[in-house]
Amino acid sequence: MTCDEVRELLLDAQRGRLPADQRGALESHQASCEACAHEAVAESLLSEALESRLPQHAAPVALKRRLAAAWPGVPAAEPAPRWWASWRRVLVPALAMGALLLVAAPLYYQRAGGSGAPMVTEAVNDHLRLLSSQHPLDIESGGMHQVKPWFEGRLDFAPVVRFLGDDDFPLQGGAVGYYLDRKAAVFVFHRRLHAVTLLVFRAEGLPWPRRGLERIGGVTAQVTTSRGFNAIVWREGELGYALVSDVDLPELVRLVGRLAATS
Amino acid sequence: MNGAYDVGMPGERRADAAVLGREALAYADTLYNLARYLTRSPTDAEDLVQETYARALSAVHQFTPGTNLKAWLFRILRNTFLSQYRHERHNPTVGGLDTVVAITPGAESTQWLRGDLELDRLRKVVGEEIERALASLSEEARTVILLDLEGLTEVEVAQVVGCAVGTVKSRLSRARAALREKLRDYSK
Repeated sequence: MTCDEVRELLLDAQRGRLPADQRGALESHQASCEACAHEAVAESLLSEALESRLPQHAAPVALKRRLAAAWPGVPAAEPAPRWWASWRRVLVPALAMGALLLVAAPLYYQRAGGSGAPMVTEAVNDHLRLLSSQHPLDIESGGMHQVKPWFEGRLDFAPVVRFLGDDDFPLQGGAVGYYLDRKAAVFVFHRRLHAVTLLVFRAEGLPWPRRGLERIGGVTAQVTTSRGFNAIVWREGELGYALVSDVDLPELVRLVGRLAATS
Repeated sequence: MNGAYDVGMPGERRADAAVLGREALAYADTLYNLARYLTRSPTDAEDLVQETYARALSAVHQFTPGTNLKAWLFRILRNTFLSQYRHERHNPTVGGLDTVVAITPGAESTQWLRGDLELDRLRKVVGEEIERALASLSEEARTVILLDLEGLTEVEVAQVVGCAVGTVKSRLSRARAALREKLRDYSK
């Protein structure tokens, strides 16, 4: 089986449409061909992206009404389906509760003061994603003066990080990442053999912690531990910062002190 | 008279049309979605879907009961788009798939692909970027990708776009390769 033949069959293989003998030939080719193995993973990721992330546009209700009105024998305004009549007593309160939660949840986070748990969880997830990636960095560091300009045009904000890295915490590089619902500038520092991830993102609209805060350097931050990682999140003006690593907490606090003292 | 399209329609045909109409209207969302990606405009998409249903109604007698109504409607929509919108309106991306250079082993980009940068990129790509990349492809490429996403078989896609079944596989393969190229460009 040639590489061209394999690539034409990748979608069929993904969807389980290949007979056993062809599947076997394809798998043995991939085992010995790095490029085709890569193609198989890329095709699978593309399918996942299309199926779960491509926006789907629903027809406007007014259009549906016009279509129904124009077609003979189809009621212009469809009556409520029969299932609705029997289920509405259950569904209306459930939908009302759902709507209440949609309104109440952000208010809970923003007004009553959230625990900050979602922000820490996401920061740790981002740190783990970087650790598991073979090429976590979009730009390898030649110093902060090379890394920061690289973000220009790639983000809808300018990440403010004035700590350039030093012998204790050398800067390894940067990347564009995603933090909750927004893009983030990702900086990776090192402490001996440990990676330290700093995420910088727009602060507005996030469930910032209001409890368990402490002063570090010039900022008020929340220091927590999640899944064995130490995490520190803080806000300065319009930007938010999250620092995550498995280095000892005093060392991480020391890095925040340097970042906050100079930012 | 109940509908705007049924001038002079005999009673029996009208009853058949009503049954088909109810079924056809269930596909309004999927047809509109394809129309949005073909026309890249909400207003044009509405016009295209409306015209599609008008043409479907006037061709009701040509539809064979038991065959795939969804594929039939997609075909009418695409033919309407090609005959009407593509020629009337400004459309910068009209080239066929043949203008797209597929990623093949040994191509210049292969070295780049061997790393996992593209895989990382595909994991991170967001809906808006996929939408933009898809919109920049040729009409033919967009259509085969979207019809495949809708779950149409290769035979049904071939019926919609009017080509041989064997051609669908290679067109889809090249369209997806082109989409990956576009997505890769965003990471540069």
